[in-house]
Amino acid sequence: MASLRTTSRLVASTKPLFRPAVFARPYATVEQGMESSRGNYASSKPVSETNTSTVQDPKPSETPNVKTFHIYRWNPDHPTEKPKMQSYQLDLKKTGPMMLDALIRIKNELDPTLTFRRSCREGICGSCAMNIDGVNTLACLCRIPTESSHEARIYPLPHTYVVKDLVPDLTQFYKQYKSIKPYLQRDTKSEDGLENRQSPEERKKLDGLYECILCACCSTSCPSYWWNSEEYLGPAILLQSYRWLADSRDEKTAERKHALDNSMSVYRCHTILNCSRTCPKGLNPARAIAEIKKMLATN
Amino acid sequence: MASIARQSPLLRQTCLSAFRSPFVGKNAAGVSQVVAFHASAKKQILPPLPLNDPAPIPKPHPSEGSYHWTFERLVSIGLIPVTIAPFAAGSLSPIMDAILCSLLVVHSHVGFQSSIIDYFPERRVPKTRTFLNWLLRGFTLTTALGLYEFETNDVGLTEGIRRIWKA
Repeated sequence: MASLRTTSRLVASTKPLFRPAVFARPYATVEQGMESSRGNYASSKPVSETNTSTVQDPKPSETPNVKTFHIYRWNPDHPTEKPKMQSYQLDLKKTGPMMLDALIRIKNELDPTLTFRRSCREGICGSCAMNIDGVNTLACLCRIPTESSHEARIYPLPHTYVVKDLVPDLTQFYKQYKSIKPYLQRDTKSEDGLENRQSPEERKKLDGLYECILCACCSTSCPSYWWNSEEYLGPAILLQSYRWLADSRDEKTAERKHALDNSMSVYRCHTILNCSRTCPKGLNPARAIAEIKKMLATN
Repeated sequence: MASIARQSPLLRQTCLSAFRSPFVGKNAAGVSQVVAFHASAKKQILPPLPLNDPAPIPKPHPSEGSYHWTFERLVSIGLIPVTIAPFAAGSLSPIMDAILCSLLVVHSHVGFQSSIIDYFPERRVPKTRTFLNWLLRGFTLTTALGLYEFETNDVGLTEGIRRIWKA
């Protein structure tokens, strides 16, 4: 999987050569071509970084490698103010290698009001999911590109309510997770009454499913989920749904399938595959959804 | 303050009780700490409660869900040979033409229906949704009628395409 992702990135870097600039739009971006059409958009569009100040690195090294970060800012204390792109300049020689290191350094040394979620800093908790350079990913797993000509742009997860700055409101996401009953359901006891056993082959079916950390990167990159997040479950929740459908120990498979068998829960998936492309853990939610569709079709 | 509190257990007691008491506002040091921690005021963005209720599951319908999807896929797969066959074989049969036309009509109807469900959610634009659904039904019916006329009173779809192709 990891090698696949590297190849696809290599391929992606050659894409602009064969594609006119009009179509060269990275997916899952919140803002695009703003400079040209500023002022025509609704107030939800952030103020461009050209209209905001730039905060400099307070303690750069002797020969600094300065890099600019444009970060989405919005403060609920001033709800009438438009969101804005604030620029920060960091000396990469004094910053760690990952985007999260840069964010933490900005918060520590440049601007303590910058708000974002973070916890484990190693891709286990899924707290620091955000949209970095047009791709939903975990800030702690995203390297800072070292060339200083590239300016990093960081937004909250697209199509989520913003609580503050880079913090999205994931209430609906968690409610949907609860609606699929993500726990083992069985009425009968196991033979020895001690453990619910399964064979290594049955356990193998859960590989690639149980690793999901519910960071919501995939769901918020899915256009279907943008349009219909009230009813469509989205890739992350459907991956979890399949994790329990595929579990040999679970006895409520029929009920689980029945709960999914409507036009909205699963079938708003149009195999756009943004979910598999963006997953920072290298999982494949689209495959899980395809398996669910297969299970439901061969009822 | 902490160092003073450590030296005198009595003072420490008063400090702690000051933090717990409802009159904490009178303690200048305590207030500044609490206020600095919660820098922004609480704002309700979504309806706050009940927070932990699961999202409602949409009602199942016999013509939606897995039957609908399987049917849609069968139509799509069936269209491939039916589209290629008359041109590859070079032969024309009215029955094949009829199958092609009916599958095309069903396929486009299902496709447009899917777009309407995606872009015009019932909770947001219920009237537009209903109107578009009926508009789609009208168009589908008109298309079906037109194709029927074309098949029975004219040369038929494949022959028509062939003539336009060669014209």
